[in-house]
Amino acid sequence: MDEQKLLRPPVEVRYREELEALKAVDSGKRPENWQLSPKAVRTFILGSKTPVTYEGGTVTIGKKYFGNDALVERCIITLAGNRGLMLVGEPGTAKTMLSELLSAAICGVSTNTIQGTAGTTEDMIKYSWNYALLLAKGPSREALVPSPLYVGMEQGLLTRFEEITRTPAEVQDSLISVLSDKVLNVPELGDEGILFARPGFNVIGTANTRDKGVNEMSSALKRRFNFETVMPVREVALEKQIILNEVRSLAAESHIDMPVDEDVAELLATTYHELREGVSDLGHRIDSPSAVMSTAEAVSVYYQTMIGGYYYGDGNMDVNSLVQNLVGALSKENKEDLGRVKDYFNTVIKDKASKEGGLWKQYYEARKWLK
Amino acid sequence: METILRSQEMAEIKLLPVRHHSPACARQVQRVIKEWQPRAVLIEGPATACTLIPAMIDPATKAPFAVYYSYDDTAGAVSEEKEKYRCYYPFLDYSPELEALRTGAAQGAQVAFIDLPYGDILAASQEGKGMRQEGEKSNYNDDYLLSRSAYVRRLCEKTGLRGFDEFWEKYFELEGLSQDSDTWFGNLLTYCRQARESTPPEELREEGCLAREAYMAKNILEKARELAGTSRASHLEEETAARNRILVVTGGFHTPALAQRLGEEDAGASNGAFALEDLPKKLVSAKDQGVYLMPYSMEAADALNGYASGMPFPGFYQEIWEHVQEAEQEAPEEKEEAPPYFKAVLDMIVGTGKAVRRAEGSASTYDEICACSMVEGLAALRGKPQPGAYELQDAVLACFVKGEYNLATDEPMRLLRRQMTGKRVGELCRNAGEPPVLQDFRVRCKQYGLQTSTTLENEVTLSVFSKKKHRQMSMFFHRLLFLQASYARRVKGPNLQTGRDRNLIREIWKYKWSAQVMAALIDASVYGGSVEDAAKGLLSERLKKAVYAREGALLLTQVLEMGLEGQLEQVYGRLSELLMSDMDFYSLAEALRLLTMVRQLRWLYDSGLETRGMILTCMRRLLGLLPGMAKIKEEDMSRCMEAMKLLYQVIGRMEREESKDRETSGISDGEDTLLDSFFDALTLMDRDSEIQPGVHGCVHGLLYGGGREDVKQIEQVCRGYLTGTREQLLKTAMFFRGLFYGAKDLVFVGNTFLGMLDQFLKQIGQEDFMLLLPELHMAFTYFTPAETDRIAETAAGFHGKSRRELQEQAAVPEAWYLYGQELEEFALTTLSP
Repeated sequence: MDEQKLLRPPVEVRYREELEALKAVDSGKRPENWQLSPKAVRTFILGSKTPVTYEGGTVTIGKKYFGNDALVERCIITLAGNRGLMLVGEPGTAKTMLSELLSAAICGVSTNTIQGTAGTTEDMIKYSWNYALLLAKGPSREALVPSPLYVGMEQGLLTRFEEITRTPAEVQDSLISVLSDKVLNVPELGDEGILFARPGFNVIGTANTRDKGVNEMSSALKRRFNFETVMPVREVALEKQIILNEVRSLAAESHIDMPVDEDVAELLATTYHELREGVSDLGHRIDSPSAVMSTAEAVSVYYQTMIGGYYYGDGNMDVNSLVQNLVGALSKENKEDLGRVKDYFNTVIKDKASKEGGLWKQYYEARKWLK
Repeated sequence: METILRSQEMAEIKLLPVRHHSPACARQVQRVIKEWQPRAVLIEGPATACTLIPAMIDPATKAPFAVYYSYDDTAGAVSEEKEKYRCYYPFLDYSPELEALRTGAAQGAQVAFIDLPYGDILAASQEGKGMRQEGEKSNYNDDYLLSRSAYVRRLCEKTGLRGFDEFWEKYFELEGLSQDSDTWFGNLLTYCRQARESTPPEELREEGCLAREAYMAKNILEKARELAGTSRASHLEEETAARNRILVVTGGFHTPALAQRLGEEDAGASNGAFALEDLPKKLVSAKDQGVYLMPYSMEAADALNGYASGMPFPGFYQEIWEHVQEAEQEAPEEKEEAPPYFKAVLDMIVGTGKAVRRAEGSASTYDEICACSMVEGLAALRGKPQPGAYELQDAVLACFVKGEYNLATDEPMRLLRRQMTGKRVGELCRNAGEPPVLQDFRVRCKQYGLQTSTTLENEVTLSVFSKKKHRQMSMFFHRLLFLQASYARRVKGPNLQTGRDRNLIREIWKYKWSAQVMAALIDASVYGGSVEDAAKGLLSERLKKAVYAREGALLLTQVLEMGLEGQLEQVYGRLSELLMSDMDFYSLAEALRLLTMVRQLRWLYDSGLETRGMILTCMRRLLGLLPGMAKIKEEDMSRCMEAMKLLYQVIGRMEREESKDRETSGISDGEDTLLDSFFDALTLMDRDSEIQPGVHGCVHGLLYGGGREDVKQIEQVCRGYLTGTREQLLKTAMFFRGLFYGAKDLVFVGNTFLGMLDQFLKQIGQEDFMLLLPELHMAFTYFTPAETDRIAETAAGFHGKSRRELQEQAAVPEAWYLYGQELEEFALTTLSP
């Protein structure tokens, strides 16, 4: 694949060098069919302080997932075991990113994915047929169109199931027997129709706790997964770091040649953090908006402002357009949210503007766009 | 190895750094003592506890127990406040100090504590520092100096561990299992040096650390001289050295400092001056210091329960300790079983699974299997030789919690935590020594025929007002309750604090002996030598700390129940001060309620003292604050109304008494009566335009009740609300509530108010009515059922209905039902495909 032509290259392509370097130096024990040992998978996701020597040069393994290191370790061990991994949490808590990183590191493929929607059917999960071939040759492996789950079992890969709770509960349940017996039966193929999963196969599901939640998931299916709840980042400094990292890589991908403004990132991280937690660092009590206040949202607000500044503006971050984009991001769920953010500006930001001045003052003055 | 100091003519001293509560450390201490065979083992701990050592190592004494230190600062050595202080030194089976005592004594060594006595540590510390920190419970062996420095934080960041406890478990507990003593103590000492170096010296002085170290150094040197003196007879030099071995077991934080002090002494240059620098010049009086053993619980010893320090998860580490000890005793060739940590982790997983099944029934054996493979996987991933407490928690979180992790699903984690904390409670041997208060308790129990040998619950009924002995028993129980010793609880009887059940003349008590009672009484021993004295001591302290008049008045009622007549004057004095200084209206109102009750009961409890003066003070204060109570929050409304009514009633009663006095004495003064001031205050409140409607209603109700207002005036105010803007109109319900609370007979004066209420209900829509329903409901709760009936009848009358018509409802004719059924069937058949 040509990297330049992809809007968003998959993880294994983006970090190809790191993965190969890790593979080369990895001396740990590997579960069967894994590309890397659990320790190397951990290093790939959480980064390493010392660079890895590879093909004469050195490769720095950056930290790609911020937050809870123990959670990442639990995920890795779960995947090496007999149960599937279910990542649940608020939208924008990097569940999908974590699942991509895990599958890229473990089996080298992060694209073997089922995208769960309300319209997902059982044959999208198991297999379907190429009808022309089916009519011409009768049921055969050739005529069978394998699903990502089928591919995962056949080749011993991880299958990612995005937004699993968006699919109807009956359809979700088709995973139960596959996950417990590691066998998929294709009755149409007769004796050859039993597909045994190869080692290395497992399922990573992600589920959003906002709209449908995991409550409707059958307990039989729940029992076949280990659940990991991904919490929003609780530290402003860390959130700022994530915003900076993400925006930098987004900008690099889109060839936007513009430096990332740390102060603006901090402004945004603080705003999102305080609105989410309901209390400011000066101690004000704040009404939290009902809209999703995730770090991912903050990244997109920043990035939009950046693009605006790059193409239409003077190549700098404009606080006015930042506030406008903030309005856009916040007005998704209900009207009251905007009022809450207005109150936030009129109390917390006002105090900060008078105390710290500078950027906070500009930020406060830009409140006119909140309408 | 750890510092060894050799001194030609004296002794060989070995300093062992330890962390309080650590299985690995306890095991290494045990090993060193067995191998090195010291003649004396000196342990960090206030020297006053030396007398308790025989009881501590008695096989009948079971850990967890604690040494309880108390200090009564009668001389003002700590501060001018002359307060009472206490602290605890908890011991678990795996505490290195306890292991040093046990093994040391078993090997025939002399064992002793060498630290400054508790009172002197306090005297050497600055206010709010070290052991003088304000807190729920103060602990002697606090490891915070080892675990809270910036050095530790960076270390944890670098090793990718969650905190000091996980760091300790990985590098000292788990890796320590296979290390020899030299390496283990060497590592610990390196760590302690770093931690010590990153602590500023002024902090050490303020916390009394330096004084303690000087005192310990002094004791070590004395012991060395003493041993040298006794062994001088021996001529063989080698033997001398071997026989003069001293092992010093102290918190790792002190070891480098002690080594420095003793090292200087060894050089002989400074003639011991440096070793003893910072030594307190004068020690506090020994008679003010108390020291006792008390049973302790694992729950109290768990660092994560807030008030204690040391290692978290005592239940978990106790199990590790037991497994390690078992393995130690087995012959090497028999060692086939799983390593200790794995065994303990497995036990905890299975135990949690069982508990979860009992609680909600959703954990399967397969969950347990998954958790087991997860702990192993995590341990390997994290480079730990065996899974520890953190892997255990991670595994239960991953494998047992189904769905999103939140308050509804964290039951498995809570059950696991409970297991890891453990629920063991310690026991003491018979000759453990008891503080006088506990002895007094036993004497009293015997005197009153109360059981202290069984742990079964007994019941006793006391006729407190007719039998003298019963009154004494009741006083005894009340004193114990006051001391928070959970020996007896009152099941029935008059309660002076809430004012309930005052008509009862008998008290029924249930009582039960337990180790907690013993612990609580030992805890209270700082206050006095008998149950009565301890109650008096605690009372004085509580009085001193009281800020609100309410607290003072509550203490007064408790004094009556406890029969501490001698203290009444003291309570009265303090309460009078509180009544003058308290600015809280509700607290004063509560005090007034309690004081009037005490006044009514004065003959029953033969308190003899006159409360009238205090009640008058209290009322004057309340009258002063009353006008300011017009603008209150809605949630305070009922409290405020209650206070106003109470004030009115008490004033009325006092006035009546006074007028009776005046009649008898024939003197009359022209001064304003209290009642006048009360109504003046109410009028002032009425003039406040922002008055809370409920209070407003109550004000008018009371004015009417006192004959200061007639129905017409109230009617006018009422119309004001009814004809006001919408918001004001909606407040009418609250106004009525206050009004009826103040004077409920208003409803029955003609039909004016009910008529107005009726008009009000007609004015508001369905939605508003639903909104106001709770308030309206409250307005009518003050009436008796008969009165409610009368109101309903009048209300029905407004709409041309009679009482009968309201109560009887026409039955639905059968034909209607049949028709309905037919209709439904028809609909079903037509609509279904």
